[in-house]
Amino acid sequence: MSRRYDSRTTIFSPEGRLYQVEYALESISHAGTVVGILAPGPSATPFVSAPEVSDAMAVDSEGAAASSSTPAAGSSTPAQSAAAKKKEEEAKAEREKKYPGPQRAGIVLAAEKKVTSKLLEKEKGSSEKLFLVNGNVISGVAGYNADANSLVSYARNAAQSHLSTYNEDMPVEQLVQKVCDLKQGYTQFGGLRPFGVSFLFAGHDPHHAFQLYASDPSGNYSGWKATCIGANNSTAQSLLRQDYRDDIGLDESLGLALKVLSKTMDSTTLDSEKLELSTLTIDEAGRPVAHIFKPAEIDALLEKEGLKKAPEETSA
Amino acid sequence: MSIMELNGGSCVAMVGKGCVAIACDLRLGNQALTIACNHEKVFAATERTYYGLPGLASDTITVRDKLRQRVNLYAMKEERTIEPETFAHLVSSTLYERRFGPYFIEPVIAGINVKDEPFIAAMDLIGCLNFAKDFVVSGTASEKLFGMAESLWEPDLEAEDLFETISQTLLNAVDRDAYSGWGAVVWVIEKDKVTKRWLKARMD
Repeated sequence: MSRRYDSRTTIFSPEGRLYQVEYALESISHAGTVVGILAPGPSATPFVSAPEVSDAMAVDSEGAAASSSTPAAGSSTPAQSAAAKKKEEEAKAEREKKYPGPQRAGIVLAAEKKVTSKLLEKEKGSSEKLFLVNGNVISGVAGYNADANSLVSYARNAAQSHLSTYNEDMPVEQLVQKVCDLKQGYTQFGGLRPFGVSFLFAGHDPHHAFQLYASDPSGNYSGWKATCIGANNSTAQSLLRQDYRDDIGLDESLGLALKVLSKTMDSTTLDSEKLELSTLTIDEAGRPVAHIFKPAEIDALLEKEGLKKAPEETSA
Repeated sequence: MSIMELNGGSCVAMVGKGCVAIACDLRLGNQALTIACNHEKVFAATERTYYGLPGLASDTITVRDKLRQRVNLYAMKEERTIEPETFAHLVSSTLYERRFGPYFIEPVIAGINVKDEPFIAAMDLIGCLNFAKDFVVSGTASEKLFGMAESLWEPDLEAEDLFETISQTLLNAVDRDAYSGWGAVVWVIEKDKVTKRWLKARMD
């Protein structure tokens, strides 16, 4: 009888916990890592506020915007020592050397593939852990793949029926909420186990531009600048905390995502067999463009980032 | 008066040599009263598959949205774009789902498949498919379109000649139909190029 509160997903234990949900979370902490990094680019406006919704009724919006322009806020704090400033400038120069040209905005999702075997047939599709959910949303999955497939399919249908009803892409948070509502249901209504899946959703919509969300089996979700789910996620989170900047660009984010994965994965070599990578950007017309990398593209990027380890002849 | 003829409008598709063309008129009417002359009835399913939905205007829009949803889901699940042959069956089964309360449209489909072969098809309002090798017609001017197409179409027309043929077919057919006309749009789909042209037509 000691396991009285284990068997039912929907019953609280005396300490006020839902064991099945916690077990699901535990199973995800053994799954392949998925990293998400939001690159707002040099003009880091998305965090300040949502862009003004164009409204024909608004009176003289341009004049109002001009009059409310704030004084330039760029003066450095006097406490900042010259040495630290110099170091910062050196780091910046190095970054600009490594990632020349204008920094693109976008979101990176990178995933570690856990199951690898010589005998395993390669995925026929482009990926097994990263999915296109809608024209404006990609997702990364950690946990039970079977559960994930069913949820991804649910999300795709939800997004498409929204498009069909409103002739508009589904706003990202609304889609995340829809999936999370379903997940939450399984922690409250009896007889079934919760979904053993955490998601990262990377999306873009006209209301809040680029967005990155993480969701867990309990149906909780939260928005992030950079985050990680799956195995070693605390290590990855602290790496991200160290290296993330509010003006990070997309190319640098790709490098950072690969660097984080290279440190959290237990395998010594990093290649397209064990990695999946995707980006969400916008084109000149402001439409979202999702791109799931082909294996050759991943290998090329690893080479460029200097993370590709030469196959060791002597290793057993 | 049949519900199929309430809003008027017509479509035609033709096969050429390594290319296809699909065209529609622009009329939206309420019986004999013309409401608008910018009502396009041809839409893109993929980059090289197009379809026309003449018939009841509200169903044209509903079915267009429904097909977009299904084509998007197909693209995401299969990770490739839908072929015109498959798309024809998708449209057909979408219509047959409403066998006993149908959408009042008669689709025509034109596209180029993965082997760069031209493909056209048409169906009735409950999705009975007709895979033609020459041309397909639909809408209130369909009888006149048949007549024009029968006399003008010939095999292995190049893209430019096909454009001329389908344009003459459509313009001369809709001039004999009070419920179609008021401008036209022609799409010519080649293996690496799609051209959309607006035609001037009689506005009476």
